Amino acid sequence: MHSIKQTFAHDTWVMPYLRKYKWLLVLVLFLGMMTFLSAAALMFNSGYLISEAARRPGNIIYIYVPVVLARAFGIARPVFRYSERLTSHNWVLRIVSDFRKKLYQAVEAKASAIKQTHQTGDILSILADDIDHIENLYLRTVFPIVIGWLLYLFIIIGVGVFSWPVALLMALILAMIVLVMPLLSVAVNGTREFKQKQIQSNFYTSLTDEVLGLTDWVISGRYNDFMKLQNKPIDEIATLRRKDHFFQWWRGFGVQFFFLLAVLTLLIWSGTFFTASKGMANWIAAFALTLFPIVEPFLEVSQGASEWPVYRQSIERVNQLSNDQPQTVAQTTLTEPVSDLNVNHVTFHYPDDDKIILKDVSLNIHRGEKIALLGPSGTGKSTLLKLLLGDQKPTVGIVTINGTPVSELQQQRAQLFGVLDQQPYLFDTSVMNNIRLGNLNATDDQVKAAVAAVELKSLIESLPDGYDTEVQESGTRFSGGERQRLSLARILLQDAPIIVLDEPTVSLDPITERQLLDTVFKVLHDKTIIWVTHHLAGIDHVDQVRFLEDGVFDMQGTPRALYRDEPRFRKLYELDTGKRS
Amino acid sequence: MIDRRLFKIPGIWPRIMMIALLTLVQAVTIVIQARALSIAVVQLWELKPLATIVTPTAVFVVSFLCRHLITVAQNRSFYPFVAETTGKMREQLMTKLFRLGPSLVEKTGTGNMVTMALEGIDKVQTYLMLIVIKIMDMGITPWVILLYIAFMQWKEAAFLLIIYPVIILFMIILGLAAKSKADRQYAGYQRLSNNFVDTLRGLGTLKQLGLSKRYAGNVYSVSEDYRKETMATLRIAMTSTFALDFFTTLSVAVVAVFLGFDLMDGKIMLLPALTILTLAPDYFLPVRNFASDYHATLNGKNALQAVLDVLETPETTDRDELKQLAWHDDSSIKFDDVSLTYEDADQPTLSHISFDVHGFQKVGIIGASGSGKSTLINLIGGFLTPDEPGHISLNGQKLPHLSQETWQHNSIYIPQAPYLFHATLRENICFYQPDTADGQVKAACEKAGLTDWIAELPQGLETMIGEGSRGVSGGQAQRIALARAFLDDSRKVLLFDEPTAHLDIETEAALKEDMLPLLDDRLVFFATHRLHWINQMDYVLVMDHGQLVEQGTPAELAGHDGPYTQLRAEMGGLHALD
Ligand SMILES: Nc1ncnc2c1ncn2[C@@H]1O[C@H](COP(=O)(O)OP(=O)(O)OP(=O)(O)O)[C@@H](O)[C@H]1O
Ligand SMILES: Nc1ncnc2c1ncn2[C@@H]1O[C@H](COP(=O)(O)OP(=O)(O)OP(=O)(O)O)[C@@H](O)[C@H]1O
Ligand SMILES: [Mg+2]
Ligand SMILES: [Mg+2]
Repeated sequence: MHSIKQTFAHDTWVMPYLRKYKWLLVLVLFLGMMTFLSAAALMFNSGYLISEAARRPGNIIYIYVPVVLARAFGIARPVFRYSERLTSHNWVLRIVSDFRKKLYQAVEAKASAIKQTHQTGDILSILADDIDHIENLYLRTVFPIVIGWLLYLFIIIGVGVFSWPVALLMALILAMIVLVMPLLSVAVNGTREFKQKQIQSNFYTSLTDEVLGLTDWVISGRYNDFMKLQNKPIDEIATLRRKDHFFQWWRGFGVQFFFLLAVLTLLIWSGTFFTASKGMANWIAAFALTLFPIVEPFLEVSQGASEWPVYRQSIERVNQLSNDQPQTVAQTTLTEPVSDLNVNHVTFHYPDDDKIILKDVSLNIHRGEKIALLGPSGTGKSTLLKLLLGDQKPTVGIVTINGTPVSELQQQRAQLFGVLDQQPYLFDTSVMNNIRLGNLNATDDQVKAAVAAVELKSLIESLPDGYDTEVQESGTRFSGGERQRLSLARILLQDAPIIVLDEPTVSLDPITERQLLDTVFKVLHDKTIIWVTHHLAGIDHVDQVRFLEDGVFDMQGTPRALYRDEPRFRKLYELDTGKRS
Repeated sequence: MIDRRLFKIPGIWPRIMMIALLTLVQAVTIVIQARALSIAVVQLWELKPLATIVTPTAVFVVSFLCRHLITVAQNRSFYPFVAETTGKMREQLMTKLFRLGPSLVEKTGTGNMVTMALEGIDKVQTYLMLIVIKIMDMGITPWVILLYIAFMQWKEAAFLLIIYPVIILFMIILGLAAKSKADRQYAGYQRLSNNFVDTLRGLGTLKQLGLSKRYAGNVYSVSEDYRKETMATLRIAMTSTFALDFFTTLSVAVVAVFLGFDLMDGKIMLLPALTILTLAPDYFLPVRNFASDYHATLNGKNALQAVLDVLETPETTDRDELKQLAWHDDSSIKFDDVSLTYEDADQPTLSHISFDVHGFQKVGIIGASGSGKSTLINLIGGFLTPDEPGHISLNGQKLPHLSQETWQHNSIYIPQAPYLFHATLRENICFYQPDTADGQVKAACEKAGLTDWIAELPQGLETMIGEGSRGVSGGQAQRIALARAFLDDSRKVLLFDEPTAHLDIETEAALKEDMLPLLDDRLVFFATHRLHWINQMDYVLVMDHGQLVEQGTPAELAGHDGPYTQLRAEMGGLHALD
């Protein structure tokens, strides 16, 4: 009980919905109970009916009521059941859609950090498991247990009307089924199911990792290691599951056993109680038969209970995910056009790492200016961009647009920044849809113009499905350079005042690269551009070049001045053109 | 409902026979149980003393317990077989995954593949457990009961017999409708899980496009679509259960009423009547059980189908044609008019590729973006199969494709976007050879230019990297992949797909010094856009629109006017500073 309370203390995933839909819930429970009551009533009534008929009463009128009732109960049960199942499933599935959205929103709020704290497989397993679990929590645990208890109460009261001692005895016997066995199940089986799920979710994560890196596995030829990684969790799960099943079967037998005791109790009691007259004795068959249809919901009570620990973990996990949301800064919006972007004495290291990546860096970019950012791999170029965008907060110093800190402009960022990062992502949908993500209001012609600008028009139009070609998972349908350009087309369409490009031409051949850069700078001539690049092709397009090394800018100036004055720059230039090697 | 392939599972028949036998015995206990209970009730009804019901009650108790013990026995005896079968299936699935490689994942999607291997197999397990036992139950129990009823009262028996096909008919009609819906629903589920993974992987991009918040709506609507499909299936499944429920419950009621009238007319005594009434629900129980697990069975069947379909995907055969391979000075690889068409494309991506390289040559592959460099490298690495067999030969031996185990064990492949495993830096570097001595690992890191960076990491080589841990820069990821290659001396064939694309010129120049010795004494295929590498190559393949437009040594190519010289000339004009 304590654990249940704890689980729901800060819950935002289960309780609110129970409250929100409480009348529907009552309806589901009512229908569920009526289903089994009608079934019991049918057997009860039929037992009475044939006993009475066997007395051969002179007139048919004597059995008329039971005859009608038999038909009525016969129809009522399926109708109740049908409506119960439709209502409960519809309700649960509807909630699940809300859940998915909510889970996504929880993840989204932490988007920039999520890649470092969760693996894709992790979240996939949350999707596949936890959501299902919460769905099943209702269908398999909450509903059956509550219905089981209601039936239990009903039986006790029903018998209690005739005899309290017998009712007490029945209460004890049936309590074994609806209370003791479920608790026992939680205690014995719950931990097992819990452990099993835990192994399974780790397994999910590692398997996803394996699948994502499959190419390397294949070429490594390490077949045995590949299989070995899975064998352990699989064996563990299998062992746990075997025990779990054995327990369930024997528990099912146990339920039947106590059920048998209850039937015997009713039989013997009615055999001693209804002996006053022949008419009274007609009730014996009724009581002897009535319990049989009720065994089914009783069997579900224990099963539902033993699944609770698993559900609990899921509830806690999703709650944890949505509760510890990052702190948000109060947001403002810029109304005037962007005039300047300022990096003011910024020092930065990643929170979980003490290596200083940027040391007291300052940078001021005016509207329409174009800046190239160069530097050795791993110095922090991409990191600087993250700071500009507000994805990371400077350890010391501040980044502002028109004097407003970027951290306060996060809601507006898509209007301010067009970003092409180092790993742009293509979604598993058509080319057209992927590009239109840049601007959902773009017309087909605008999309096509963007595609033409990135030199892909002829390729796309030559494909059988044209712009409707599916790009497949993460864009595998296209070559590296094509993917890069499709993502770039998205940015062209976005029409934001500041464009941030992190190596937009990686994986392009020099000629395409040159053409592309020409177009990009032409199309974006009135925008502010911050462009990270690894080499010097197209460098003449920019107003300023900055070299980032060891956390500081150590070379800067216009490309021409640098070429003229800096031997190092000249050397790079020659390396790049292939004149030197 | 039943996948035929089910019966092809080795060893399933003896189990089915055993289950059948147990079910038969169980049916008999059901009859005895009903009879004994009825006797007891009738004794009491006739106002006989309690002592008279001791024997029938005892028989009732024993047969009741036997009946449920048999259920346990059925499960216990069948489960090990099912567990073993599904265990094997999972293993086969993983083996298949390993054999078919990334092409399978591209088709099915990562999320889907993982779900199939885990949940899918679990569903199959549930399915196997349910289907055999329930079908046997349906095939045996009702008939034993019916036979017994017929002995007592043919009229009720006839009614029960007639109603049965009606029920089955309903089940079939609705089952067929549900099946097509359920298939769609399964597809919907696949889409859902792939969509979610897709969304998560691209979350960063969505955020930058300012769409991440709005995308919640997309997640919701895909999920709602799925709900609607599920509800449609469920509604049909439930309607079928309803019809079944309706007929069975009503039949029991009708039987009770029939019996009542017969009793009044004195055509039957209470004992047989009560026995029939007690047995009537049990007569319908198997078919009802079957229907109530219908959904689980349908899911399981779809999962089984999906798994079997993957298992039956033709593998690249003849992967061991090439018996032995150690790449030497005089070994050679020859492409003779090789073409390749992607599955869903209508034109070949590579057409009529012919070249002949041998020994430890360094082969540069250049060409515009999309000209087919990666495709060619993938073909050489054996991840793609050419359109026609027999156009590739290794050391003179004609091969259908290069997906030869021995060939792959001789090669190292660095893809355009290397994947980093969620593991320590060391494990990532030692991926091809897990037990490498520390010294060698350090040496490889040194050559890949990683030493300085590693020295800054608090945990050094033991730092966890990859998804879900510390971020690494684009260039660092590529250098980690390079370190893998540096580590392995035994693999003599190197396939590099733009290994330095993410590196800046200076880092690349420094790295090049270290890389060049690595390329010696190896056969190297090196796709690149950085033309300065060409000076170090022995042979160059120039690709254009899927065709090999020119090949030769750099000197030869530079010597005459062709695509290569054009490329260089155009590039020369690209830089406008001097
Ligand atoms: N999330 C993180 N946590 C800790 N360190 C990180 C994280 N992301 C990157 N780093 C480290 O910060 C440094 C700078 O990384 P960054 O990605 O900014 O480099 P870069 O200049 O863009 O390099 P490249 O040109 O190779 O892409 C690297 O040493 C990298 O390992
Ligand atoms: N799975 C696929 N199905 C159909 N076509 C494909 C597939 N993968 C690639 N292609 C097409 O084949 C052509 C060659 O692609 P490939 O990846 O080999 O180019 P590449 O020369 O490596 O280009 P890049 O330099 O941009 O990486 C491209 O036009 C691409 O769109
Ligand atoms: Mg970077
Ligand atoms: Mg490529």
